Amino acid sequence: MNLRPKTFGAKLLLLFVIVVAAAQLTTGIIVARANRAQARAGIDEQLARAARAFAQIVQDRNGLLVASATNAARDYQIKQLFVSEDTATLTSALPSLQLTSKADIVSALSLDGRTLASTMRARPAGDVLAQLIARAETDPSPFPTATGYAYIEDAFYSLAVAPMRAPDIIGWMAIGFRIDHAFAQALEAQTGVAVTFLNDTGHLLATTLPAATASALMSALSALPQLDELRSAAELPLAGETALLTVRRLPAGTNHFATLLLQYSLDEKLRPARRSERLLLWVTLGSIALAIVISRGFAQRLAQPIVALVGHTRRIAAGDYATRIGSDRDDELGRLAHAFDQMSDGLAERDRVRDLLDKNVSPEVAAQLLRDGAALGGEEREVTILFADLRGFTTLSEQLAPRDLLALLNRYLDRMSAAIERQGGVIDKFIGDAIMALFGAPLAQDDAADRALAAALAMERALADLNRELAAEGRPPLALGIGINTARVVAGNIGSHRRLNYSVIGDGVNVAARLQSLTRTPDYATSVITSAATLAALRAPEKISPRPLGPVHVKGRVEPVEIFAVG
Amino acid sequence: MRRIPVLLALVAFAPLLAVAATTGGRVRVEIKDPKGAPVADAVASLLPLDAPVQVSPPAEPVVVTQDREEFQPYVTAVVTGTRVAFPNRDKVQHHVFSLSKPKPFDLGLYRGDPKELVTFDQPGVVTLGCNIHDWMSAYVVVLATPHFAKTAADGLAPIGSLPPGNYRLEVWHPRLKTTVTRDLTVAADALTQVISVTLGIDRRIRRAPESGAAGYK
Repeated sequence: MNLRPKTFGAKLLLLFVIVVAAAQLTTGIIVARANRAQARAGIDEQLARAARAFAQIVQDRNGLLVASATNAARDYQIKQLFVSEDTATLTSALPSLQLTSKADIVSALSLDGRTLASTMRARPAGDVLAQLIARAETDPSPFPTATGYAYIEDAFYSLAVAPMRAPDIIGWMAIGFRIDHAFAQALEAQTGVAVTFLNDTGHLLATTLPAATASALMSALSALPQLDELRSAAELPLAGETALLTVRRLPAGTNHFATLLLQYSLDEKLRPARRSERLLLWVTLGSIALAIVISRGFAQRLAQPIVALVGHTRRIAAGDYATRIGSDRDDELGRLAHAFDQMSDGLAERDRVRDLLDKNVSPEVAAQLLRDGAALGGEEREVTILFADLRGFTTLSEQLAPRDLLALLNRYLDRMSAAIERQGGVIDKFIGDAIMALFGAPLAQDDAADRALAAALAMERALADLNRELAAEGRPPLALGIGINTARVVAGNIGSHRRLNYSVIGDGVNVAARLQSLTRTPDYATSVITSAATLAALRAPEKISPRPLGPVHVKGRVEPVEIFAVG
Repeated sequence: MRRIPVLLALVAFAPLLAVAATTGGRVRVEIKDPKGAPVADAVASLLPLDAPVQVSPPAEPVVVTQDREEFQPYVTAVVTGTRVAFPNRDKVQHHVFSLSKPKPFDLGLYRGDPKELVTFDQPGVVTLGCNIHDWMSAYVVVLATPHFAKTAADGLAPIGSLPPGNYRLEVWHPRLKTTVTRDLTVAADALTQVISVTLGIDRRIRRAPESGAAGYK
């Protein structure tokens, strides 16, 4: 199936739609990619900030608890209880400190890390306390401290140790707070990201997620081989959305740890961007629709004048040069229409000129004029000149009304012209009722003399026909005289520079006219007289049987001319 | 005025002269840190191993003052049975106490001289504190031997008048976790013992800047 558009409008439409769709699609892709990258970067930043906030919160609370413990350790009586290792009394005294410091656990430790007394019956799992004290001992401060995480009865705590001085360090206070749901919620409230704590077996310690999402998270996490520390956010499919996840490992002594998961939904972050993208899609569709409308309108506007031009061209081809397009556009099409009109003008002008030429000059001269321009000129050549004159025209003009006279004259001339032209003669001019015709000019003719004599005979026959018609009309017959001479004459355009006539001049022309006059001589009893020069120029003299009339003196010529009657 | 340095020199060398006059041996303990810098306020003592030693506390009490809210001296070495007075030279009250096992005591708040002297009858190190001035700390090293000396700024602790025989040299310092011991034999001639000690972190509390002047001096 060929889907290539056929019309200009369809092509333009397709182009518009492709351009608009490509531009919008590219914009859409760029915007979507930028939105996604920006959302990711935003979440990355948010999660990193949340991780820092977690560290800061823990540090701040540890600092407050250490300050409380250090103050409590200044109590002289507490020092005495430490030294005397009166654990029962110490145990009874510690809850006061827990209450005032808002700690979740307070313990009194000996120098070597033994728990002398605690607000909790259970002890931190593993070697956490020993590690904390060992770390504190490397702290060069007068009040050396150390902080860390610990599991106590399956709950997760942040612990800090502070020294008991008298004034040497005689023992340690351990003080801490529980990292539980309330803590996670506080962290979420501050950072805006979902907070989850897992223990070292991957079970939930605390989370701000709804139960369903939390269990989905757990199963998604179990698919991950290693969940140590993800400093930059990783993507995790979660509850039909994509979550970005940051993981921090919280060591609790040598062998234990907890995992802090901070997550934020990429889809949620992208929601405002998606709204913009949907809007962009509608804008795209609207733009395409607009492009269709505009391109159709434009194509029609463009196609209409083209169609008009096509129709106009067909009319010109059919010969109608009169119709004009007359476009008022000022663009290329307007100029094209104007050019068409100019062409029509030109064609019409040429047509008219040709028409006029045909009427005013012989078709041969007209053709040569049109071909070579008005430069026919000045050449000497042998031409056979035929003069024909109507006899008794003066009498006729007195009898007839001018209108009838002209009608009759034209009728006569028409017949004579036809006879001449049939023989390839060229009407040089009408001189009143006389006809001057040329054979062998402007087009050279080998048999010009033959043709001229044949034309003369044809004219006699044509006149006989005309006379029969006139007789039938009840009119008197007409008579003519024809003189034919062949001579070398000068042929060319003759006249002023504004008006030219193609003609021939020379003595030979006068001779031809004189021969015509001689036909009036009753003694000759002929209506066609020709010269010896013409007879000599005949190609087929056998067809002609001339009757010599003897030499005559022609006016203006010294030598007598041998003349002959033909027909 | 010209004579004073000469007199001071005589006084300084008097023990040496006295030792030289007797027939006993001499041990010159030199205490340095690993970089070779002298260590002050260390107590070197020699415990006779051959025969039990008799100590006789001095008749007059040894004095540890509180002056400008500091104990003076920082380290005091005494023999068992020595009585120590803790006069308060400041206008403010002090509360001198010890929670150390060899001699826990508690003088309460007082101005001037406390009511009683404290008798240190058990050997060991007693840490002194003032309950209301956390930065005040001092040590009384109670020894069961008369042969001891405290290093001065030059890190030297000369011990004289020693009957020849076998001794255990013990070196204590506030920033030593455990006492450094070394067995040695003292003859008639002088003996120099160089002890290198690695001191722990100095955790003495710096006194808080005086209120009202904080940050402006």
